[in-house]
Amino acid sequence: MSFLSGLRVRLRALLRHRAADRDLDAEIRFHIERETEARVRAGISLAEARRQARLAFGGIENIREAHRDARGVRWLEDTFADMRYALRVLRRNPVLSVTAILTLALGIGANAAIFSVVDTVILRPLPFPAADRLVKLSEDNPEKGWRQESAAPANYLDWQERVSAFRGVAAYTPGGHTTLTGEGAAEMFHNSQVTGNFFSVLGVPAALGRTFRDAETWENGSHVAVISDRLWRSRFGGDRAIVGRTVRLDDLQTEVVGIMPAGFGFPAADVDVWMPMEWKPADRAQVWFRRAHWLGVVARLNPGVTVAAADAQFQTVVRQLQVQYPETNRVMGADLMPLHDFLIGNVRLPLLVLLSAVALLLLIACANVGNLLLVQALGREREAALRLTLGAARGRLVRQALTESLVLSLLGGIAGSALGWLGTRGLAALQPAGLLPVRDVRVDWWLVAYVLAITTASGLAFGVIPAIWRGRRSPAQVLKEGDRGGSAGGPGSRIRRWGNGLVVAELSLALLLTLGAGLLVKSFWRLEHVDAGFDPSDVLTVGINLPPVRYDTSTKIVAFFDALQARVRALPGVTGGAAVLLPPLSGGGWTSDFHIAGRPADQFGTEVQHRVISPDYFKVMRVPLVAGRFFTDADRAGAPPVVLINDALARQQFPGQDPLGQRIAFDRVPDSTSVWRTIIGVVGSERQTSLAIAPQIEVFIPFAQQANSYMTLVARTSSDPASLVPAVRRVVADLDPNLALATLNTMSALWTRSIARQRFVMILVITFAAVGLALAVVGVYGVMAQLARGRTRELGIRLALGARAGQVQWLVVRDGLRLVAVGLGLGIVGAMLATRAMGALLYQVAPTDPTTFLTVPVILALTALAAAWLPARRASRTDPAGSLRAE
Amino acid sequence: MPQPPRDVLRGTLDLLILQTLRLEPMHGWGISQRIQQVSHGVLEVNQGSLYPALQRLEVKGWIESDWRTTEHNRQARYYRLTPSGRRALGVETDSWYRYVAAVETILGTG
Repeated sequence: MSFLSGLRVRLRALLRHRAADRDLDAEIRFHIERETEARVRAGISLAEARRQARLAFGGIENIREAHRDARGVRWLEDTFADMRYALRVLRRNPVLSVTAILTLALGIGANAAIFSVVDTVILRPLPFPAADRLVKLSEDNPEKGWRQESAAPANYLDWQERVSAFRGVAAYTPGGHTTLTGEGAAEMFHNSQVTGNFFSVLGVPAALGRTFRDAETWENGSHVAVISDRLWRSRFGGDRAIVGRTVRLDDLQTEVVGIMPAGFGFPAADVDVWMPMEWKPADRAQVWFRRAHWLGVVARLNPGVTVAAADAQFQTVVRQLQVQYPETNRVMGADLMPLHDFLIGNVRLPLLVLLSAVALLLLIACANVGNLLLVQALGREREAALRLTLGAARGRLVRQALTESLVLSLLGGIAGSALGWLGTRGLAALQPAGLLPVRDVRVDWWLVAYVLAITTASGLAFGVIPAIWRGRRSPAQVLKEGDRGGSAGGPGSRIRRWGNGLVVAELSLALLLTLGAGLLVKSFWRLEHVDAGFDPSDVLTVGINLPPVRYDTSTKIVAFFDALQARVRALPGVTGGAAVLLPPLSGGGWTSDFHIAGRPADQFGTEVQHRVISPDYFKVMRVPLVAGRFFTDADRAGAPPVVLINDALARQQFPGQDPLGQRIAFDRVPDSTSVWRTIIGVVGSERQTSLAIAPQIEVFIPFAQQANSYMTLVARTSSDPASLVPAVRRVVADLDPNLALATLNTMSALWTRSIARQRFVMILVITFAAVGLALAVVGVYGVMAQLARGRTRELGIRLALGARAGQVQWLVVRDGLRLVAVGLGLGIVGAMLATRAMGALLYQVAPTDPTTFLTVPVILALTALAAAWLPARRASRTDPAGSLRAE
Repeated sequence: MPQPPRDVLRGTLDLLILQTLRLEPMHGWGISQRIQQVSHGVLEVNQGSLYPALQRLEVKGWIESDWRTTEHNRQARYYRLTPSGRRALGVETDSWYRYVAAVETILGTG
């Protein structure tokens, strides 16, 4: 209590120190009056009494000082005085101040923006209750090269039953499409099929209605769905009566049982409809239920169980399953990791690279401002000396200098926060879809603390050197030297050494940053110009999902897509049309084991990609035929089963042999139920899932022999493919008015999107590097200009004695050259150590790529030398007589 | 023979102020007068240290102050003891007696 009241007194004293002074004065006045009265009563004349009273009281000014000290806020008042003084100094030199503040604002703003993303993505917990208790379970298969793959449903069910460390285990499909019909135009929504306990494991209840029940994992004759807040508002106008109503989803009567709260989006932000798995109980015993892998699995740990303990228990169960089901699980491992770690796994490295880039940028900015302040400190030496002579304590002077730089950094921090706020908005707007969940970037304490920390740290970083400098100089020396602060060997030489150090640091940091950017640019160029095996220009892709209720036979499915292809081919501007399960670069696809007829039983292949295509697919995509023939309309159901292979598979499986006519089955151990397909042709290899990944071995099955209800129409056009969209929509609506397009893209948009993340990171790093480079060049220029100015007299003498302008220029540039060489040398060494960390982001470029490590420093050196040469030229042009007279 | 008044020893001023305020709230001048009276003119408070000392005690939370009207209808700042000031007075008094006893022992009069 006494502490609190003391604090209150102190605070009052601080906030109202004028009022406190006034109070004291009134008190003193009262005291003296009483004293005077007392003396008058004792018989002394009024004037004499007053004099004595004053005398007895003592020095009023001393009492005031002591009283202020007693208030215990002296240092704070000093700080305020220092800050007021600092602001005056900054105002006196507006160009320097604004330059410094803007430089800092750039550095701090870039940091704030990137950190706000890091904060949102990496530091903030997932939006689930006790999210740190959620773990992701996935399957690993070293034989197939699987890491963190989807799980098989039968395995999932066993994990759920046998691992007691889990309070609940839920499964979901990564995402598909469902068509809503019956109310207005047919519309396609992203959906996810989930187990009945999905929402309760995540811990998120419905905002309205209910979520699923455990029993709803299994088929029970009725269909239910939970919808997103977004869908509820956009499609049903936020009508609360929708809960309990029946809608048509994929032509199935489905009851909407619940609406999720706004912002819930798992497994993906764009999921609008959740449906139960509706597995058939009989499936559980089937082999395929343990062989096919398509589930994401998330588990909640029981209270008190550590991740390590849960993993140990989980691995025991996984080993049991390996023994129990050798046919499918012999080499099937599994992996448990915190859900949060899993979700940020692939954005962590790009974000860390960006964070490092902005950190470098801030360091460069600090060095630059430090340089400015040094130059300023040099100019203010006389002021400092004068204050020292007048009795100011050296410590106070150092403190004053530090206060100035802190005030500067604080102003920079404020401007930087504004810039960072804009930058964050920009990042959120410009980012490729789904890269960063920054839709809800908020300011939180982490961010505030971070910005405050970097602001203070930078203020100290660039303020310390001028401050020390100011504390060390002896006033006599300074005053004696007069204004010629720059003369050789004088006080300037030491300060210049600091300045040189800063320039070297700036250059090496800028080189590090630019080299990183250079590597990313080269990597991106390689990626963008990779030969993907197909021609992405002028191709429109349209995904269509046929509802299985109405399209319940292969014949109906094939008939629909045949009609669609024919109608689209007939459109003006279309030069070719085909259907494919999934076009390249659109993700997904499936793989299987395979066996080639006539080979020993243990010689099976694994992980071959499958795609279902119509005959014209390769013509539309301009994929070359290497051998044999393409499919024709004759390769239909009932005709001999055929298959095309890509030349990656041909090279792998048939080196020096003719693959044509060989037969292949997609089982590890073919049996009587296996379908043997004859290889009728070899085609060029396409990059399937990513431009950065070399083509995988792949087989193509004719659509007519393996109909699939989801297919993508690919149409080659003679003009802009996007202009064809309305016509294609009309064709689809004409064929079936209750169909919605699942996806609609141009092939080149898919291409761009597949490398959007690399482009985004590259552009950001280039931007940061450009700013860093500009700052460093300005730094070099500033120091060289200072240097040249300091040598004006010397150079003037040389010119007067007959030196040529070129010689004089060289004298100045030579000094710059030394700085540039040291800075770049350090930068290269630093970069060789640092760029290794970003190796995983680079495509076919070594982290120490020789071309980059040669060209970037040369460009940087030339730019820096140009900055050094400008002041040199000015120095060489001065009129020697004039410069000498000016002394 | 009366001796000239002595300045209050540094460090004991706080104790004397607390003791003086024990009975009733007083203003600064009153405190200095009272100390002089009670000590029969032996102790004189140096005004230069009285007011900073009052401020110090207030920051410690041992006394509180407010502006009041005196019996002569004048505004004066009155100081009064807080409960924690009362406790502090006890502690300070004890330690003063211990100090005096120790000094007496050394002087050989105890």
